[in-house]
Amino acid sequence: MSEPGPSRRSLLRVLATAPLAALVSGQRAEARDYASAAEVLAEIDRLEASLDARLGALTITVAAAGALARSVQADHDRHRRARAGLRRRLGLAPRRERAAAAGAPPSVEVLRAIAQDLVHAHAEGLPALRDAAAVDLLARNMVDDARHLAILQMWLEAEGQGG
Amino acid sequence: MAESRRAFMLAAARAAGVAGPALAALAGRDALPRTEETDLSILSAALLLEHHAIALYGHGLKQSLFPPGLRAYATEFRGDHQGHRDTQVAIMEERGATAPGPRDDYDFAHAPAGESFVRLALEIEVAAQSAYTALIGHIRTDDYLLSAAFILIDEVRHMTVWRRVLGLRIY
Repeated sequence: MSEPGPSRRSLLRVLATAPLAALVSGQRAEARDYASAAEVLAEIDRLEASLDARLGALTITVAAAGALARSVQADHDRHRRARAGLRRRLGLAPRRERAAAAGAPPSVEVLRAIAQDLVHAHAEGLPALRDAAAVDLLARNMVDDARHLAILQMWLEAEGQGG
Repeated sequence: MAESRRAFMLAAARAAGVAGPALAALAGRDALPRTEETDLSILSAALLLEHHAIALYGHGLKQSLFPPGLRAYATEFRGDHQGHRDTQVAIMEERGATAPGPRDDYDFAHAPAGESFVRLALEIEVAAQSAYTALIGHIRTDDYLLSAAFILIDEVRHMTVWRRVLGLRIY
């Protein structure tokens, strides 16, 4: 997981008022540059497994998180199958199976940070794909992951308000 | 994409002023080639949707049509859309193109207050999210592709927040 930093939304807003050269160079400086589709997919696999494992661990102590965890994992199962098909089409090696350690039940903030990294891995990975159908596929998966992120953000906001 | 959802998105896009190749691509009629012309067409379509969203949020905030507890979200989301507008205007101008301005005939005069206005905000967010999702695969340049991806993330957040406010399913 990357170190916490300014949110992309805030960054985009700040940069929007700057000249384009600064905008583009600033955005690129902040964004991770992926060298290949294989690297993008491997990072997505890693973060997705981490989020699934930790969300699963949270349900041990917060039973109400069960429905969300099941929904997120169902989406991720579908995403994994889609990426497997993409790997085959692009002639890439299959995903390396790695079980993520769940560890102790995490805080919602930890989940939010992993979910944000997962969303950013999709966004920052799109330019490395060099394939319109692959961009379309990962962008659609990113929409699901951004929705999960928004839910975790709202959960955190509710916690902050004593909800 | 389900036909009803596509029809809804197309109606919203037309209302915002979207036309030409981008509208045809949204309608699923034409596959756009990944060219500079396509990027500019997508930028223009996206800007028209952003202008529409900014106008709607501006009207709602000015006329106090959002429920009081939701003004902070409305203000934040309007700011996001203004950022999206400014980013994409800058990209178009950098490429020597003229960015489209807002329409001068938005008609929100009969927009209802309260939850019904939130529903209008949700509709434009759904249209924007659907349009960016449908068009992003056609973008040619890395920098615009990256910007569009982060804009799309914002649109999903807006949509998810309004869906939750309205008691609609979010997972």
